[in-house]
Amino acid sequence: MTSTAFNRLGTIAFCLLFFGFLFGPLIIMVVTAFNSSSFPRILPWDCFTTDWFGKLANDAKLLHGLGNSLIIGAGVVALATPVGLAGALALSEVGPRLRGILYTVFISPILMPGIVIGISTLLFWGRIGSGLGFGFDSIFFDGFFLTILGQVCFISAYSMLVFMARLQRFDHTLTEAALDMGATPAQAFTKILLPFLRPAIFSSAVLAFLASLENYNTTVFSIVAESTFTTELASKVRLGIDPSISAVAVVIIATTLIGAIVHEAYQRRAQALAQGGAAAQAILANPAAAFIRHPATVGALLLALAGIAVYYGKGHDSKACEQSILDAKLLEQQRLQDEMRARTQQQQQQAPAPAAPAGSAAPSTPFGGVFAPGGLGGAPAPAPAAPKPAPAPATPFGGVFAPDGLSGGKPAQ
Amino acid sequence: MRLLYDFKALFDRYGVGVGSFVAVVISLWVFILILLPQIAMIDMSFGHNLPPAERGGPNDVYTLSNYAYFLFGNDGGFNTLHLTIMAKTVIASVVVTVFDLILCYPIAYVLAHGAKPQAARLMIIGLIVPYWVNEVLRAFAFRILFGSTGLVNGVGLALGLWSDPIDFIREDVALYAGLTYAYILLMIFPIYNAIEALDRNQIEAARDMGASWWRIHWRVVIPMAKPGIASGSTMVFMLTTGSLAAPQILGGPSNLWFTQLVYQWFNEASNWARGSAYAVILVAVCILFTFLMMRVFKVSIGEIGR
Amino acid sequence: MTKTVTLDHVSIRFGNYLAVDDAHLEIAGGEFFSFLGPSGCGKTTLLRCVSGFVQPTEGRVLIGGDDMRGVGPNKRPTALIFQNLALFPLMTVAENIAFPLEVRGVSKKERRKRADELLDLIALAGQGDKKVTELSGGQRQRVAIARALAVQPDILLLDEPLSALDLKLRQHMRTELREIQRRVGLTFIYITHDQGEALTMSDRVAVMSRGVIEQVADPVTLYDKPKTAFVASFVGETNAIAGKVTARDGDVVEIESASGLRLRGIAAGGRNYPIGETCLLFVRPEQLRPDGGAANVIQAKLAGDEFEGNARHLLLDAGDLRLRMMLVNDGRMPDVPDGVVKAGFDVESALVLPDGPLAKG
Repeated sequence: MTSTAFNRLGTIAFCLLFFGFLFGPLIIMVVTAFNSSSFPRILPWDCFTTDWFGKLANDAKLLHGLGNSLIIGAGVVALATPVGLAGALALSEVGPRLRGILYTVFISPILMPGIVIGISTLLFWGRIGSGLGFGFDSIFFDGFFLTILGQVCFISAYSMLVFMARLQRFDHTLTEAALDMGATPAQAFTKILLPFLRPAIFSSAVLAFLASLENYNTTVFSIVAESTFTTELASKVRLGIDPSISAVAVVIIATTLIGAIVHEAYQRRAQALAQGGAAAQAILANPAAAFIRHPATVGALLLALAGIAVYYGKGHDSKACEQSILDAKLLEQQRLQDEMRARTQQQQQQAPAPAAPAGSAAPSTPFGGVFAPGGLGGAPAPAPAAPKPAPAPATPFGGVFAPDGLSGGKPAQ
Repeated sequence: MRLLYDFKALFDRYGVGVGSFVAVVISLWVFILILLPQIAMIDMSFGHNLPPAERGGPNDVYTLSNYAYFLFGNDGGFNTLHLTIMAKTVIASVVVTVFDLILCYPIAYVLAHGAKPQAARLMIIGLIVPYWVNEVLRAFAFRILFGSTGLVNGVGLALGLWSDPIDFIREDVALYAGLTYAYILLMIFPIYNAIEALDRNQIEAARDMGASWWRIHWRVVIPMAKPGIASGSTMVFMLTTGSLAAPQILGGPSNLWFTQLVYQWFNEASNWARGSAYAVILVAVCILFTFLMMRVFKVSIGEIGR
Repeated sequence: MTKTVTLDHVSIRFGNYLAVDDAHLEIAGGEFFSFLGPSGCGKTTLLRCVSGFVQPTEGRVLIGGDDMRGVGPNKRPTALIFQNLALFPLMTVAENIAFPLEVRGVSKKERRKRADELLDLIALAGQGDKKVTELSGGQRQRVAIARALAVQPDILLLDEPLSALDLKLRQHMRTELREIQRRVGLTFIYITHDQGEALTMSDRVAVMSRGVIEQVADPVTLYDKPKTAFVASFVGETNAIAGKVTARDGDVVEIESASGLRLRGIAAGGRNYPIGETCLLFVRPEQLRPDGGAANVIQAKLAGDEFEGNARHLLLDAGDLRLRMMLVNDGRMPDVPDGVVKAGFDVESALVLPDGPLAKG
């Protein structure tokens, strides 16, 4: 008995830790969006602020990227859903041998590294374009066109998996019944199978859109000179991190949560109605309850809440608080700099400066930027105070997080 | 031709219209979106990096030089830098995969056989919700967590576990944590699907016979979970090896991921031919690993990706 | 409106598996015809062949004299009621019933009218807007029939439509089906493994085993004059006693069982039974009497006694033989002696058939 109780406790503790790992980083990120510290962090807490959202709303590049992402997302949904459906239908009907081969081919884009899909799409269409004598301004070199095709290549496979799961639950005698009742095969498809697949079409579209919006690996190659929400976000992160990126996370999490709750309300209602009888009565009998639990009401309520939050957030002013923190920091900075100066003088007397590591290892590689001393050197790891003075007084971070300190560097152009 | 005959059932059931739609669409998908681009990339990888003017000219011949470069560099010795990066990428991916397996197997088991239905439903929602957040943002969250003034350092310093802030980014701790986090779902669900089919009575029977809990898992549950483990491990390994965003955001400045090499050939060195060769090498390594997994776990490719 | 169905030497193969072996028969217009057999005997395959989902490997199917080769299921004058009913779950009752009209391009108003008429016919008037999931098993059954009738078929095919219902409802639906068939006057082809269903409803029954049609006859003939050992053992309860022919006198054949019992019965079908041939003697439980006063007598120990109200079943153990005896409770039921029973039966009530596989169970 005690051992089972012990097991249970252990299991629960493990689950808690696991979900802590899952949610912890996200929660921390969300909280940092409201801290006025210009490096996203929780501790020390400076001031509650909503300024980062304002900064976000004025970030033209990101908004431009978002606009592009919406266009690409729509294109991907429009193409990947029918392709996924066709794949699932083919797999449900062909013989077992061909089925195995087809499944492997269809699923391979999911397993293939995303960058390979981006690269191959870029090269293939570029080759076709120049083979046909088109210039770089033609569609074959267009970031939208290439990105949509590159994403459709593997998002169709997600879509296909969604349709396959639904098709497995389809009773094929329904199609036979329709045929027997005199329906043509096409009628059996549109009147029986398609309505049955409708929920899957919806889920596949949502999944395809989200996958498209968040894709980075493929898009970063296929987008060429344009940008999407995610590539823009990634270059923002790589150029230097600030809490307005956390603010993006807050917006995305809020949006998906609202979507999820409305969807759940819809599901519960549909389930209750489908069961019929008492469960449906319980919903429909009381008009007030029916209204409150209707997914549209739930959605409207949540949107209203979000709206109120935005309204009050806009009104919030943290200037005074920030100023006082800044003053305190400047003082502290001054003190630290003095201390630092004293210490460096001491060190210089004791030992010569450490040689830049690794930098000279491969002069022949084309990665000059990465291995250049500037990319590494900066602050030796344990350096609480930056040797860099003024421009970023609130950041105690040195070169590690400075723009050029990151491994990837800027994308060419 | 026998294979084409297999499609007949499709036409019989849904008619010529739907049948042709399916046939045309999957042909376009397979050839135009999947196979031909790969062939174009492989073709490119055997070419020289030529300016547009010289393409199709006398210098436009096939060569192995791009692959040779990966192995030997320019000067004939081994290209230790790139070979090391490849080895490190593969080893790190294996480590991440093992981490995920250790982390996810108990959760999948609890989900399938331990938790009550409502709790399981809640757990599934809890598993999925974090993955609606952008991949880049998830990596960013780890950047915040593991920064010099991040929470981990804050707590560690406050508890006196270490005296100076540790640079988790440089040590790649943040990267491994981020990658482990990124593909948890892909490990949990295949294992869950595999052991959900397990009859609870088998576990109870084993327990009745006095088997210890680890023996129950070793002899009853894990054999059942095997296809799921193979499938999940393959996917996690593939996606970890092929990931780009997390290494770019979380990677230490001196440690490159192999995908970053490919990225740089394209975007910084503008040597597309060599970049293609590196991409082909990446795919080859991934496929090799898949076959290895299939050998080790004795499962077929059809079971992967379920 | 009624059409004949002709199976002209139909054989159906799936790969190497012979599902139907040379089925050859004609079903008259307006007939209630059943295919009876255990699961896997090929009866459903044969039905799907008539409805057009399966093509015969050899032979032809004719409906009303027209060859059905190359005619799809949606073009045949048949309507099939599926074992699981195959009602469309996303449609209402009325939409289900009107589906055949919808695909034929009938106007919405006309559809509604026809649906209401059919709902009347199946005593579900006013329930057209319900979801099919809200109906009871028996109601769904009737909706499936109404939907099939909406096709205005010449032939209605029914694939074990009652198997999902409970016993009481099943018995009720038997009467109802027969009633509907009389009213609409269509040819019904009915598939079942339940001999009770087949015997009570059908004009004629074809008994199938392993893809072969063993016998086609009306229910009484099937029960009283089975042609093969399989039919004798599958239709109704019976006692089968194996033995070798020892003598023959006109229609009467004498056999000797393994334990040396000599029993006499009527040779079926006027076939010649040479001396020494192994054959089977069948006698129904209700033909056995416990008093021993008959031409054939078997001494047996009483092994079981089941009283069922209208009848009493005795299980008898006669060495290598196990027999069932049924005594009808007509108010004068004889006492059953303890221990030993002398089971007797007349020569006329015993049937001798060539050796062959028996139905299981």
